[in-house]
Amino acid sequence: MSHEPMHRIIRLKRYEQPPEEYFENFLKDFHRRQRAELLRPSIWELLKERIQAAFSEIRVPAMAYAGAAAVAIVASVMILRQPGVANQPQVYTAAYRQAPVTISGGQPVSLRMEPQSEGRFDSLFPPSYLLRPRAANHESPLSF
Amino acid sequence: MTPETENQPSNDMELVARTQGGDPTAFDELVVKYSPRLYGLVYHMTSNHEDTNDLLQDIFSKAYRSVANFRGNSSFYTWMHSIAVNMTINFLKKRNRRQHPSLNDPDSRIENDPDFIAATSNADPTKEVGIHELQKKLNAAMMKLSHDHRMAVTMFDIQGIPHAEIAKILKVSEGTVRSRLFYAHRQLQNSLHEFKKN
Repeated sequence: MSHEPMHRIIRLKRYEQPPEEYFENFLKDFHRRQRAELLRPSIWELLKERIQAAFSEIRVPAMAYAGAAAVAIVASVMILRQPGVANQPQVYTAAYRQAPVTISGGQPVSLRMEPQSEGRFDSLFPPSYLLRPRAANHESPLSF
Repeated sequence: MTPETENQPSNDMELVARTQGGDPTAFDELVVKYSPRLYGLVYHMTSNHEDTNDLLQDIFSKAYRSVANFRGNSSFYTWMHSIAVNMTINFLKKRNRRQHPSLNDPDSRIENDPDFIAATSNADPTKEVGIHELQKKLNAAMMKLSHDHRMAVTMFDIQGIPHAEIAKILKVSEGTVRSRLFYAHRQLQNSLHEFKKN
């Protein structure tokens, strides 16, 4: 089977040509595209740029480091210039606020307590069976 | 059949060497020399001028980036065509099948071509077959071919590249090239049956 007729017909497609000026402009377009490619960053460059941008947002300004260092030095000097402060006992005071108890028509109170015959603190705290007499306070807790 | 254009491998190798040596104007000469024939290769595969233009730019960009690695194991002509074939096939695999053709107008010289006169005079007399009608039918028939068959037809029938050179470019045997052409021509005859009374 000869395919020569088909070859001749298909060969007519070679007459399909772009406009005459196309190939004259092709090289210019090629140069333009090459320059654009040079300016266009690659994927790695874009990624690097993104990472740097992300870190730049959380970066502390350079002056902050100097400020923090100055504060630390001043605080250290002030602490060191107070000798013995650390050795002195510290006194902690706790305020206990409670409304005073008022006993109206109070009578002397006697409390009988059974002595503890056996105990670990007997020697330290000898037993006492009588409360010391104390006058009852009949005054108002607040006096103006 | 002889190639439509003469190859000048020695001149090509000189230009390649200059390009590799850092002379970009040498590559410009290669672009000027090869852009028309590679345009034809890509255009007859895509049937779209705009796609061809974009793809051809990419092909030369790729070649420029890779030319430093060109060792001359094949001719620059073969190397350049191989890049064009691979990129075109990859492009066609990704392209939407419903892409509309964007065809160039045939050169006015076609009207004086004996093959055109014979084809149109032997066509079905009940239908008037003009240049654009013939172009449309040829394009439709070409687009029905597989990529491999269309590539073989494009290089052999339209561009006039010899079997041996096509085999080198496609990295297949000459027998494979002839086989592809045989089946492609048979399929084209079925599609263009109204013109086969020649």
